[in-house]
Amino acid sequence: MTMPAIASSPARKRRRRSSGWQGLAYIAPAIALVTVFFVLPVIFTLWMSLHRWPLLGAPRWIGLGNYLRMFDDARFLAALGFTTHYTVVVTIAIFAIAFPLAFFVEKQRPLVSTYRTVIFLPVVVGLASASLLWVWLANVDSGLLSPLLQMLGLTERRLNLLATFDTAFLTVIVMVVWKIAGFTMIILLTGLQAIPTELTEAARIDGARPWQRFRHLTLPLMRRTLALALILSITGSILAFDQFYIMTSGGPQNRMISVVYYIFNQSFVSFNLGYGAALSIALLVILVLISVIQLWLLKVGDDRP
Amino acid sequence: MLRKLLFATALVSVLGSGAASAETINMWVRSGIGDSFKEVVKAYNTAQQDKVELTEVPFSELVQKYATAIAGGQAPDALSLDLIYTPAFAAAGQLEDMTDWAKSLTYFGSLSPSHVKLGTYEERVYGLPLLVETSIFAWNKGLYKQAGLDPEKAPTTWQEITANAEKIRALGDNTYGFYFSGGGCGGCAIFTFTPLVWGAGADILSEDGKTATLDTPQMRKAIDIYRNLIAKDTVPAGAASDNGVNFLSITNGKIGQQSLGAFAIGTLVTKHPEIDFGVALIPGVDGKPSSFAGGDNFVVTKGTPKLSAVKKFIEYTYSMEGQKIMAKYGSLPTRGDIADEVLKGLDPRLDVAKDAIAVAKTPYTLQFNDLINSANGPWATFINAAIFGNDVDGAFESAQSEMQSIIDAAQ
Repeated sequence: MTMPAIASSPARKRRRRSSGWQGLAYIAPAIALVTVFFVLPVIFTLWMSLHRWPLLGAPRWIGLGNYLRMFDDARFLAALGFTTHYTVVVTIAIFAIAFPLAFFVEKQRPLVSTYRTVIFLPVVVGLASASLLWVWLANVDSGLLSPLLQMLGLTERRLNLLATFDTAFLTVIVMVVWKIAGFTMIILLTGLQAIPTELTEAARIDGARPWQRFRHLTLPLMRRTLALALILSITGSILAFDQFYIMTSGGPQNRMISVVYYIFNQSFVSFNLGYGAALSIALLVILVLISVIQLWLLKVGDDRP
Repeated sequence: MLRKLLFATALVSVLGSGAASAETINMWVRSGIGDSFKEVVKAYNTAQQDKVELTEVPFSELVQKYATAIAGGQAPDALSLDLIYTPAFAAAGQLEDMTDWAKSLTYFGSLSPSHVKLGTYEERVYGLPLLVETSIFAWNKGLYKQAGLDPEKAPTTWQEITANAEKIRALGDNTYGFYFSGGGCGGCAIFTFTPLVWGAGADILSEDGKTATLDTPQMRKAIDIYRNLIAKDTVPAGAASDNGVNFLSITNGKIGQQSLGAFAIGTLVTKHPEIDFGVALIPGVDGKPSSFAGGDNFVVTKGTPKLSAVKKFIEYTYSMEGQKIMAKYGSLPTRGDIADEVLKGLDPRLDVAKDAIAVAKTPYTLQFNDLINSANGPWATFINAAIFGNDVDGAFESAQSEMQSIIDAAQ
């Protein structure tokens, strides 16, 4: 940036300095909020994680003890494994549903806004309420799904969906897709609508088939939208807790303990607040790493002016 | 000036004691303990100047909530604490030492012994019995009759219970012979299932609570009995994922037999008079009965300013009037010296529950939450895996080692 000579005149300098203060004043509330509600808690969590910190009683400094303990904590590693498994499955499932839906509601057709609303509706239901709703739907005695499966002749007798890992996992996945796909669809829709129609038309005139147009035109142009949708979906899945806590209480034989669930258990069931804090910090690091890797893979930011 | 100050102090203290004469005690109680405590509070609030304000907290979250409330300085003055947690909270130094006052009560010696034992930590008394219940076996007399069984004859072995369950199941679609909450409800299982093992002389923890002794021939036998009940289709499919919400399934009238607690007797008698049921002691695997002595201890948060009001309320619950109200709703008398008189004229089935106290046990461990009650703890997981899973040996092995590692980690 080249500085015009006039900028060094005292009057302009003063104005610049005062506008700098003004700018700071404008963002001060935001900074204050972020400091109080994010930075300070993270620092405090970090401090706690270096202690043996029972909920009742006095904390004791143990340095990196909590972090070392993590590496041979079989239950934590199991929780990490399950969370990864869940994140991969649910993200693929959400995109597999949300992408076609986005194409479906993008085109102008009769009742399209009705479709959009209907598909988006589950998103406004809280995750906890949605989980409770599905607990009832999946209830073997008074629910909907088990008697329905039996009526359709798919199962010989009533199947307790939440009693075995596979069916319970499937139920949770279906619930989350039902709940989240509409949101991902809306994000993808904005990406789709941002693609100029001339480009699509030009490609069509050049003889590109639908799949080719999707692969070489739509996908590259939607890179940033995809990045946003992916990061939101993956972060959300890694932080999953409500659905497992409410729907399966950790699943048949503890096989559905996600990382956040494990942190919750350590902190508020076993009262090891220090270890819970250390686990939270580890999770934060993992999340930041994953987001950085994703942004790098999708090359978001390279094409900024 | 000094005189003025003295006067002001005197005035404040007069006002203060004036306020103390009609105080409101904040008290927490866990959900699912029946109505007995709520009723005694109601009676106290109408009869006395002091008021007790009750907050009901879900049973699975009470410990967490209380511990966080203490940490945040928002703790209630007193609470009705599941007695098995009293040692842990006393050990953490959060409870008021009530030794001297408790021992001055003339009837201290006749208070429920297992409650006082759990309420005592290093020779000091921190918890006093509030609600007493034992686990017992109940059967639906109506269904027994329909199935051609003698409704007045209590089964005394699990072979008998299984045979009866099959006959009741044969009645039709939605009628089942037996029920238990088998999906991650450690508290339910310790209450209703361990008596099978205790009766036969085994236990899941050693006497000092430092060794897990889960894998015993008696426990294998008990697991087989429950597996057999499921294999014969006498248990509703919902049992496998019931985390305790449907613990009182017998109230729906479609369950032939179930192990439950004395509080449930109160609930059944007062809320479901249409169900005619009998109660007996829970047989052990070899026929010798046992029971879990459970219930709640009265504990007072350390440093509460309303100690004297709390003491007055405790004395009320120990009075004949208070005891009678609580007994009517299913809490057994906490005072042995007046037990017979309290139960006079009440439902005779409560006598069975009272007699169970003689054969009842309660585990004493500081890790009760981690080991037993947590929905994700080894005990709850074991019950589900061993009874509903395909790998019984694996369930025994992993639960035994996980329990031991939790105990070791806490030493």
